[in-house]
Amino acid sequence: MLFNSLSFVVFLVIVLALYYSKLFNWNSKKRMLLLSSYIFYGLWNPPLVILLWISTVIDWITGKKLAVEENQRKRVLWLLLSMSVNLGFLFFFKYGNFLLENFTLLMNAVGVDYHSRPMDIILPMGISFYTFQTMSYTIDMYNRTSERARTFLDFALYVTFFPQLVAGPIVRAQDLVSQFYEEKRATINQFIWGLFLVTIGLFQKVVLADTLLSDTADTIYGSGKVLNFLDAWTGTLAFSGQIFFDFAGYSTCAIGISLMLGITLTENFNYPYASLGFSDLWKRWHISLSSWLRDYLYIPLGGNRKGITRMYAALMITMLLGGLWHGAAWTFIVWGGLHGTYLILERLQRKYIPFKITKWNGMFLAFTTFTCVNFTWVFFRAREFSTAKNMLMSMLFMNSDGEKILQTFDIIKILVVVSILFLCHWFMRNTSMKEVSTKIAPWVLGVVWAILFFLIVIAQGSGEQFIYFQF
Amino acid sequence: MNLKKSLLIAFVISAISITAWEFYWRSQGYYPTLNDEKALWAMHRADVETATKEDYVILGSSRAYFDIQIKEFEESTGKKPIQLSSTGSSPLPTFHDIVNNTSFNGTIIMGITPGLFFSTTFPEASPWKRPQSKVDYFQKRTYAQRINYELSIPLQQNLVFMSADEEEWTDDIDLKSFIRNIQIGNRNGGPTMPPFYSFGDVTLDRNMSMTSRTVSDTAFANSITRVWGYFGKNSPPPDKKATMAFFMEDLKKFKARNGTLLLIRCPSSGGVRMGENMVFPRKYFWKDLVKQAGVKSYHFEDYEQLKNLKCPEWSHLSATDAKYFTQELLKIMKADGAILNSKTK
Repeated sequence: MLFNSLSFVVFLVIVLALYYSKLFNWNSKKRMLLLSSYIFYGLWNPPLVILLWISTVIDWITGKKLAVEENQRKRVLWLLLSMSVNLGFLFFFKYGNFLLENFTLLMNAVGVDYHSRPMDIILPMGISFYTFQTMSYTIDMYNRTSERARTFLDFALYVTFFPQLVAGPIVRAQDLVSQFYEEKRATINQFIWGLFLVTIGLFQKVVLADTLLSDTADTIYGSGKVLNFLDAWTGTLAFSGQIFFDFAGYSTCAIGISLMLGITLTENFNYPYASLGFSDLWKRWHISLSSWLRDYLYIPLGGNRKGITRMYAALMITMLLGGLWHGAAWTFIVWGGLHGTYLILERLQRKYIPFKITKWNGMFLAFTTFTCVNFTWVFFRAREFSTAKNMLMSMLFMNSDGEKILQTFDIIKILVVVSILFLCHWFMRNTSMKEVSTKIAPWVLGVVWAILFFLIVIAQGSGEQFIYFQF
Repeated sequence: MNLKKSLLIAFVISAISITAWEFYWRSQGYYPTLNDEKALWAMHRADVETATKEDYVILGSSRAYFDIQIKEFEESTGKKPIQLSSTGSSPLPTFHDIVNNTSFNGTIIMGITPGLFFSTTFPEASPWKRPQSKVDYFQKRTYAQRINYELSIPLQQNLVFMSADEEEWTDDIDLKSFIRNIQIGNRNGGPTMPPFYSFGDVTLDRNMSMTSRTVSDTAFANSITRVWGYFGKNSPPPDKKATMAFFMEDLKKFKARNGTLLLIRCPSSGGVRMGENMVFPRKYFWKDLVKQAGVKSYHFEDYEQLKNLKCPEWSHLSATDAKYFTQELLKIMKADGAILNSKTK
């Protein structure tokens, strides 16, 4: 079920009505939320709910054992069980064909005449999100940094909580499960703010991503042509805006819906396009994933505790795997590799040519970071390396006779929207929407809210799927 | 921060602005209609799964869609046909889907619009991609999508502003259409498509009928003929060999399971007819198709009662003429023993 759909509106109204009715006690409300979450997921493809159940049961048992088991060898085995089930699902459903394809290429490269037929496998929606979420629980249990969920119901709801089930934020057990222990009711202000966040999220998705940006990005990246400099940049900027609004829109909706239930989720985006460098970017973009990768990959690989070379290697491995997390293709790995390279170069710069960031050079630095990020998006969006290569060459003035396929208004539209996006991020980078809303008159907020809602209504939208559902 | 006050203001302004928006468009002559979309097509495609030997499926492009009227068909045959025609589309992807993914062995009435039937088998070409996207949607649609569509029907039937047709008409009144209609010069120097306004209304049973404006407003009808002229000038040459080969393979399978295929050629007139006669001469395209297919076929030019029908915008019949065409065509088919009147069976 998509947030930007009529069925979800009906679903949410029913869930809220049941949640706030006096028919149920807290345990029954949690059962209702759990059942609703399975319905939310199952309305996409019912059999795949079984994967969620398996993941839930295995990790519940594993967590229970890890909580009491003292034998280190057995603890390792329990952890391995959880990891192998979750990663097994991920590898089979998400990376199966990619591995098979590369194995075939490798065999052929070494002279073995091997052919394989791609497997007809459905990618379960949001599998990367919920497997990472549930793995964080067992790893924390293994590391004894988190307490075991008190009941199976609490744990199952943690794995399946519908607002963030299919596209995050990836929440840690200690941040979410503990909220299920006592009855939660949103205050009236929390509820209204949650509703406002849902409006913001839908505006980002339906109006900005789907209505204003997606067509241009699709036209450019689907053209199969060698393009003019301006067209290539416009297409890439359009995608840059689209992916932000699409994903941040989902996260904002998830946080808002959850808040309407009185449950707080962690922020996932913090105005990333005004980041001052790449370390800053990864503290602002998909925060729940980057902190997951930091805690469960980068630090276990040695982090910055085992010398410079090891640190750079850990950084690069983390970003390469982070790229692979997004999709089973080499283009995603290159995307991750570029980010790894940027992070390493940034650390080298800090060491050898340090400079102080002032308000004067800050905007230039933010713009430079944003420009570099756009180069990485080329690999993220292009389906093939040939497309990425053509796009990059066009963006670097190397295709002087590239074709013009966009109309003038499309270019103006994208440049205006992305410029406003960048400036908004710049002016908001040290504050928050909540803080700004406290400083403006209630009627101003009301008028802005009404305009956003009106634009969502007239945009209508065709129920486009969120980009990150495929990850 | 007084959020209650903000919410109240937002609610009041939203309610006023949306109501005003709705009434504004009604005052401009718009009325609530269903969008002709994949979800509606898929709903009817699902009916093929349970259709029997006695059922009828209509395939084709917009001509079979506009010119065959469901009510008249049902009155004449006692069976409501499953209308799966699709605007601007080759019938081949849908025929392929029915032949290969269902066990349907009833009667398929296939409308042949030469410019689309013989156009291409290239998956990315518009006449192929459009119907294939409908087939794919049907094959992959989720329960959530089905519920979304069911919920959207009463909204579309009652609210004018719910008008975001997949066809992307110039006069759609959604935000994307407003933005799409803004043009500054012609930067890429390519051909510019004239405005393409919606000229048909569809109902829940996928009965398409031409709007009265298209019949009564010549200037409006001419705006549609200009679009046909644009398509005529900018379409690639036909690929008869590939389309015929593709069609014959599916037809062989369909015949092998005792299915009946009837080919029909719906009327066209004016410049479209002239263009079709020039690019798709009957002898080389229609006759050869009928000969190779070895099935019963009906060309409007062969029947006194049909050959003088005029299309207001050169390609589709008015709602009144479509009813007449359906009734007469069915009489001809019955006389020919091609279809039975199940009322009298």
